[in-house]
Amino acid sequence: MKASILNQKIKVPGLISLALILLLWNPVYSQEDSVAAPTAKASKPVKNMFSGIWLIDNQSAMVPIKGTFEFDILHRFGVVNNGYEDFFGLFASSNIRLGFNYSPIDRLYVGFGLTKYKMLWDVNAKYAIFQQTSDGRWPVSITYYGNAAIDTRSEEFFVHFSDRLSYFNQIIIARKITPKFSAQIAPSLSHTNVVNGYYSEPGVVSPERKHDHFAVAISGRYKLTETLSVLANYDQPITKHKSGNPHPNLSFGLDVTTSSHSFQLFFGNYYFLSPQQNNMYNANDYTKGQYLIGFNITRLWNF
Amino acid sequence: MKLKLSTLSYLVPSVLLIFGFSASLAQQPWVAPEKVAKMANPVKSDAESLDNGKSLWVTHCQSCHGKKGKGDGSKAAQLKTPVGDFTSADFQKQSDGSIFYKTSEGRTDMPSFKKKIPDADDIWSLVNYIRTLK
Repeated sequence: MKASILNQKIKVPGLISLALILLLWNPVYSQEDSVAAPTAKASKPVKNMFSGIWLIDNQSAMVPIKGTFEFDILHRFGVVNNGYEDFFGLFASSNIRLGFNYSPIDRLYVGFGLTKYKMLWDVNAKYAIFQQTSDGRWPVSITYYGNAAIDTRSEEFFVHFSDRLSYFNQIIIARKITPKFSAQIAPSLSHTNVVNGYYSEPGVVSPERKHDHFAVAISGRYKLTETLSVLANYDQPITKHKSGNPHPNLSFGLDVTTSSHSFQLFFGNYYFLSPQQNNMYNANDYTKGQYLIGFNITRLWNF
Repeated sequence: MKLKLSTLSYLVPSVLLIFGFSASLAQQPWVAPEKVAKMANPVKSDAESLDNGKSLWVTHCQSCHGKKGKGDGSKAAQLKTPVGDFTSADFQKQSDGSIFYKTSEGRTDMPSFKKKIPDADDIWSLVNYIRTLK
């Protein structure tokens, strides 16, 4: 058991190191090149790496252009396992998130949202630290995404105010590999201020799980046409807890993009619509067929 | 011959409707400022530019102007102003700068794209693609 945990811990830094090596390996930095082409045009970020900020449940590396205001409607139905009883989850209790964000400057957006489950309000921000350039100067894009969320259910669920709070931090390393195919790897750290406890011995309460949780997501997009793409995503939990370990998430979907809208329809295992909730508490096991249908609708305005 | 009041009651609105509608359908001349119209296209019409232009066309233009630029997009019928035929010689005789200006600034039903497509080179690539719609 310990060995497998160790292996997983080694794999993730290994993947990140590989991405960093790709980033740092750059022939354009050679003196010869910079002398040979002093009048070359300024590097420009690659276009259309992804069609929007969402890749099913994960954030993509993309940040909308300056002056973009975005309204998101995210919806997750129940798992399909009950079949006709709840019409494959479509009539089951659903989870919904309404979100808004705005890009005040290039490379940055700030936003907030409200999720039905736990009446979770969140504030979030995404910043494109590096952007892959079409001339290869930067081979990958590196984007930071983070949020802070507050559970606004009634007081009976909490002892202290701080028990309501949770946080999520993620680094997204992405590359447009071909004009049609883009992929990204995104290690993340989720933190929750409070976890369930149990009596390990009389009078002594021990936590069931750790407050911090590492995970890594791998996502890809393949363009079938200029407006239609297929999406695939996998989330692997890394941190092991005493109990209630989350299941990985496997999801596939379609993305249709227009000038002002993006529509994503997919099936996957994540239900919570908050990345820290999904990464720490996902109970749907894809090996048992516990998939659910979901969609993301995005509306954009440019100011 | 005396006109009855009841006849007038439908005749007058009908005349107003017909002439008013005709007036709104008439395409007003749209002339780009000379300075912009004379601007040379700084983006070479190569495969990369045309790919980029096509992608922008499909995303932002096709729904009104149609797949081939004939003005037969799915939203064209909802517009008050005629969409025009980009494959016509009349349209194509415009300078690159003129098409750039109209795309960037917009007018009535035609939205301005300078905020949605902030990189001028992208609009020039779109102009390159529009040139292939002959």
